[in-house]
Amino acid sequence: MTAIAPLFSDPYRQAFAAFMAERRESEAIARLRRAAFARFETLGWPTRHQEGWRFTDLAPLQALTLQKASAALIDAAALPELGVAAHRLVFINGRLAPGLSSERPLLDRAFITGFSQALPRDLDLIAPVLDALPGLQFHPFAALNTALWEDGAFIYLPQGTVIEEPIHLVFYATGGDMAVYPRLLLALEDGAQATVVVEYRGQGRYLNSPLAELQLGHDAALHYHQVQEESPQAFHVGGIRVHQSRASQANLHLFSSGGQLARTDLEVLLDGEHAGCLVNGLTLGQESQTGDYHLRVEHAQPHGTSEQVFKSVLNGQARAVFDGMIHVRQHAQKTDARQTSRNLLLSRQAQARSNPRLEILADDVKCGHGSSTGFLDPDAEFYLRARGISLTQARALLVHAFANDSLNRITLTPLRDRLARLLAAWLALDSIEGN
Amino acid sequence: MLEIRNLHATVEGREILNGIDLIIRPGETHAIMGPNGSGKSTLANVIAGREGYVVTAGEIRFEGKNLLEMDPETRACEGLFLAFQYPVEIPGVANLYFLKAAVNAVRKYRGESSVDAMDFWDLIHERMDLVKMDESMLKRSVNEGFSGGEKKRNEVFQMAVLQPRFAVMDETDSGLDIDALKVVADGVNALRSPERGFLVITHYQRLLDYIVPDHVHVLVNGRIARSGGKELALELEQQGYALYNEEPGRARRAA
Repeated sequence: MTAIAPLFSDPYRQAFAAFMAERRESEAIARLRRAAFARFETLGWPTRHQEGWRFTDLAPLQALTLQKASAALIDAAALPELGVAAHRLVFINGRLAPGLSSERPLLDRAFITGFSQALPRDLDLIAPVLDALPGLQFHPFAALNTALWEDGAFIYLPQGTVIEEPIHLVFYATGGDMAVYPRLLLALEDGAQATVVVEYRGQGRYLNSPLAELQLGHDAALHYHQVQEESPQAFHVGGIRVHQSRASQANLHLFSSGGQLARTDLEVLLDGEHAGCLVNGLTLGQESQTGDYHLRVEHAQPHGTSEQVFKSVLNGQARAVFDGMIHVRQHAQKTDARQTSRNLLLSRQAQARSNPRLEILADDVKCGHGSSTGFLDPDAEFYLRARGISLTQARALLVHAFANDSLNRITLTPLRDRLARLLAAWLALDSIEGN
Repeated sequence: MLEIRNLHATVEGREILNGIDLIIRPGETHAIMGPNGSGKSTLANVIAGREGYVVTAGEIRFEGKNLLEMDPETRACEGLFLAFQYPVEIPGVANLYFLKAAVNAVRKYRGESSVDAMDFWDLIHERMDLVKMDESMLKRSVNEGFSGGEKKRNEVFQMAVLQPRFAVMDETDSGLDIDALKVVADGVNALRSPERGFLVITHYQRLLDYIVPDHVHVLVNGRIARSGGKELALELEQQGYALYNEEPGRARRAA
């Protein structure tokens, strides 16, 4: 190698300058973007020498010349449906597509809208809370998202507002090596309740680097579902920040089956007494897919509860990475925190890396973690076959039993049923009935 | 219906079966008795096609077909059933769903359509009564958290639902108290018919008080040392297996 590699940030610096030149927005937001871009340049592109990125191979992504996102027409049939009445926002290549979205009536002062649709005075409402949550400070892609988001979903429910209909956010990318940085900003005021389904899909090759910020006030309740079904060539490198106040409850269901590389970094701060958080993850991997989760759950106040259950099913040469940290601050007595990571390998070439960690500074807590990785039980396989069930179906049944447990935790029935069908199709099963 | 000729089999390179000859005709119930380590369970597993059991010589024909060429599911679809000595727990798969999958797998093999939901339900209920099984067991995961007796009853229940042509009962009596033993035996007896054959493997004579066999064979060192009628079981009960240690096999070979 005689050529000198360009500074990593060069293409980004140009892209950022061009991007900023086109934006017409408030100085507050522009300042936020510049600060975030500076942070990205300081952090640099992650390398495998960094502990948090040791098992995430970004080389194939780094080799791409990423293009600026552009508008595209897509067939509405390619978009997922929830099958129930929902507040629906569809983003194509990171921009809201109002024609594909459907708004439903909302109470006064509540918002479910795209940033681009918001009135200037509402944008002033957004600016102070954007990028205001702690967490992911050292995540270069989170910084990049803050610098480069074009549009996003803004959900704001005032005190005591309960929205029964789910909020369905669909992010679709059309390939062409585009980079999209969709944003989600959700704030539930005290006692507000919402059910949100975020879906990531696309075609061809692209980078989707979303960032979601979820803020829960006192006694707020959120059911959040992330369904990652990106195209097989896609790169998905996203982040989620959650901030919870007293007695709030966040149930996060993270389903992942798409992308050649899919990584989500999640940071939850339980910042009020009696706050509770469930994170339920299921990853299906095949061929050479990598499914990667890094999470940090921080108990800052007493009487918090958290449970993280991550499962993966890996075929082919697929890989799963789980890196989970529960941190209990000294003040956070009576914390009850549990974390499990279970991986089922369907082939000898599949690999799973689990790294559950606990850091406990309080002395009166209940914390536990565990991880297991293994193959299907040959005795169970033989038992099923000895009853006439084919080897393929026997294996599918056993995998289904392993994974279905995760789906059963999803209370949004139409989504759960759809994912159950997806799981059955993934396993090439003719049909799976509830059991 | 089942013909075993000169069967030799190894497990992990160790020779366990040393030339078994056994013919079972439709309607017959045969018992195989023998001391621990004589090869009883190996025989059951070889018949069912479990991996790790290597047949080195001999053959098994089932209804005239070469059984050893079939994978385990094909054997089951052809009408062979193994009641496991240690039924496997399968968390997350409901008993009812499992049974339906099994019934439909067999029907598919025979070129029949999937079982009608109502017919299936009727069959299930009728067969549940046979083994005095509680309906709650249908919803529970296969064998998960079942007591020893419940597991064995579940085996007989599955057999009653699948209605195989030939069943191997591998130490179905082990770990059962007398009441559970009677329930299991009643279930088996109810299925006995002129078309169906049974091979009952047991260490103890006790089971044969309830499932009365037509023929009894004594298995020692991987070979049938002696065959006789049901009275042979009683004789064994009185004398134990001590008489059969070593010599009978050799003597038989010489003859």
